[in-house]
Amino acid sequence: MSITIQNISKTFGSFQALNNVSLEVPSGGLTALLGPSGSGKTTLLRIVAGLESADAGTGGKILFDGLPVTDNPVNRRQVGFVFQHYALFRHLTVFENIAFGLRVKPRAERLSRDAIRERVTELLKLVQLEQLAQRFPAQLSGGQRQRIALARALAIQPKVLLLDEPFGALDAQVRAELRRWLRHLHDTIHVTSIFVTHDQEEALEVADSIVVMNKGGIEQVGAPNEVFQNPATEFVMKFLGDVNVFHGRIHNDAPVFTDELKDANGVRLLVRPHDLTVQLYPGTGISLPAQVYRVLTAGPLVKIELLNSQNNLVQVHIPHDVYQAMPVKPGQQVYLVPKESRLYGNGNERIEYVI
Amino acid sequence: MNLTLPETCSTESVATLWREIMPAVSGLGKGDALTLDADGVVRCDGAGEALIVELYRRSAQQGFAITCQDARRIVSRTLGLFDVRRFTEDPAAANPIRNTHTREQLGQAVVKIFADVCEQMAFLGELTASGFSLLVRPGRLRLHDTMLHFERAGIDALPITVLIGFLLGLILAFQSAAALRQFGVEVYVADLIAIGLFRELGPLITAIILAGRSGSAFAAEIGTMKVNEEIDALTTFGLPPVVFLALPRVIAATLVMPILSIFSVLAGLIGGVIVLGSVNVPAATYWQHVIAASSLNNIMLGLFKSAVFGLLVGLVGCAQGLQTGRTADAVGRAATAAVVGSLILITIFDGIFAVLFFLLGV
Repeated sequence: MSITIQNISKTFGSFQALNNVSLEVPSGGLTALLGPSGSGKTTLLRIVAGLESADAGTGGKILFDGLPVTDNPVNRRQVGFVFQHYALFRHLTVFENIAFGLRVKPRAERLSRDAIRERVTELLKLVQLEQLAQRFPAQLSGGQRQRIALARALAIQPKVLLLDEPFGALDAQVRAELRRWLRHLHDTIHVTSIFVTHDQEEALEVADSIVVMNKGGIEQVGAPNEVFQNPATEFVMKFLGDVNVFHGRIHNDAPVFTDELKDANGVRLLVRPHDLTVQLYPGTGISLPAQVYRVLTAGPLVKIELLNSQNNLVQVHIPHDVYQAMPVKPGQQVYLVPKESRLYGNGNERIEYVI
Repeated sequence: MNLTLPETCSTESVATLWREIMPAVSGLGKGDALTLDADGVVRCDGAGEALIVELYRRSAQQGFAITCQDARRIVSRTLGLFDVRRFTEDPAAANPIRNTHTREQLGQAVVKIFADVCEQMAFLGELTASGFSLLVRPGRLRLHDTMLHFERAGIDALPITVLIGFLLGLILAFQSAAALRQFGVEVYVADLIAIGLFRELGPLITAIILAGRSGSAFAAEIGTMKVNEEIDALTTFGLPPVVFLALPRVIAATLVMPILSIFSVLAGLIGGVIVLGSVNVPAATYWQHVIAASSLNNIMLGLFKSAVFGLLVGLVGCAQGLQTGRTADAVGRAATAAVVGSLILITIFDGIFAVLFFLLGV
């Protein structure tokens, strides 16, 4: 089922959580809402679910398959919601937790006892936790609890699955495992899903499409590859990974990076740490002078920290073999050459220059 | 003012330097200048960097200028690592509530109380509406939950209610017997205890126990569910929390209060007979006076008040629980607010009833 979000705004007191947001979520996809805390992603998800209502009088609408559901209460929208802290009912067993949504339906819609049992068993199999049916939530690990929460959300056969930072409360290793598992699960059941995350890696790895949010607005929508390779704004570039910023200005239609600090016509060159190479002598294109401050050789990549001419910290990540071929020492003067970089002016929008 | 940084800017050397110069630095203002000589610095650790950052922070704050001799680029390196602009913000400005004027705080408190009252009203309305919807579909009430809360708020509270009621009767009898004895009318202590307990003290003390035991528990239980997002989960399954969680509790509290109140009054009367036995009033006389004083009016008034107090405790407890914020310490605050709110409301309503019954002549 496709979801259409039209002109949704939401204010909490004087804080504008969402500012006229519109978004199309295609049917059957796994979409990630990605943004820092306070960017409004959870609020948007809760509005889609119907747990929160958008500001009245701004003409905001939520459509499921083209039909407006803005005034429908949450239980009529047929959404499954997975919460960050699992929200399992503590006094019910795993089995009862999953069956809960089916048991509390009005008598006319309720399945028979046997049908409920069958459905719950099927779901337990889907989340690979059949053997834990009679346990209580407190006896499960975080990852297991979240899988039960997911099964509970799926029990009512939702048309839309909404996940609010589903792996936010788990440790890194379990997260990575559950990420793969979620992707696999989605490939099995193909229900339209939206999940909220502040972890760019998670979004890049799991989602079919990513919606980058900032300050209550949408910065960019696109496939993971597109968002990562072609960030529309400076914010997206900065949010999707470590970035080095060099300040400069436009001189004779070409950017110049001097010792001068930011001025009105300033531009910023954004380069990812792995897109910089370290050279001992200046090259022909852009080469930025810097002094080596620290070298960290532990880890899959050699991390070199340098101070540029404006005394800002610059990070460079290079493979070990490249570093072995040309090692540098702290205090050494070197030149940084960007392989891949993006230039931004004052307006946050990307500008193109042939360098 | 001139300041020369030592050769080794370590924790020890900077600590002494900091104490020596900071009073003078705080005296600097607009138009003054500070010359920082960092040429001689060979080693500089975190303490030295902290001093440099602090000097620049104060320069930005107080408006004096810093000129810096920095041959070894120690200062510029430090400033490159730390964004001094971020340190110039006044930490107190980030938390403005503490710095407001008393009048402002008073005003804010009034607005908050008003908002609380409005929310309580809205909650009462919602509860009443869902209560009426139960008349149409009684099956929606969670009977099992209601009985559970009945047990927790009632039967589990019986020992403490009886104990406190008993002691209350005992104390009341002691104090009044001493006074009435001077007139030789100890026997009227029985009337005093019977009327006092049935009409006033029995319901009041039971309500206070209920507020402390169950009102806080209601708020904490519902609040924890809110923090764990269980309430949202219930909502997604189409179960409004007011019907599912609040209504059983409020009904249980309202029904259990009159019963608890009767027990506390009976215990108080037993406490009274023990005291009067010690001042040579026969038990038979005592009970005769008690039965005469316990008119149907007095008993019914007491029970009515108890039910209202129970309703208030349930109402405030559940409302506070549902209004809990999303953090863990909010649960504790909700429990406290539930107890304080119920006690205030109980007292206010007790006062209203006193005036009302007086005017009605019952």
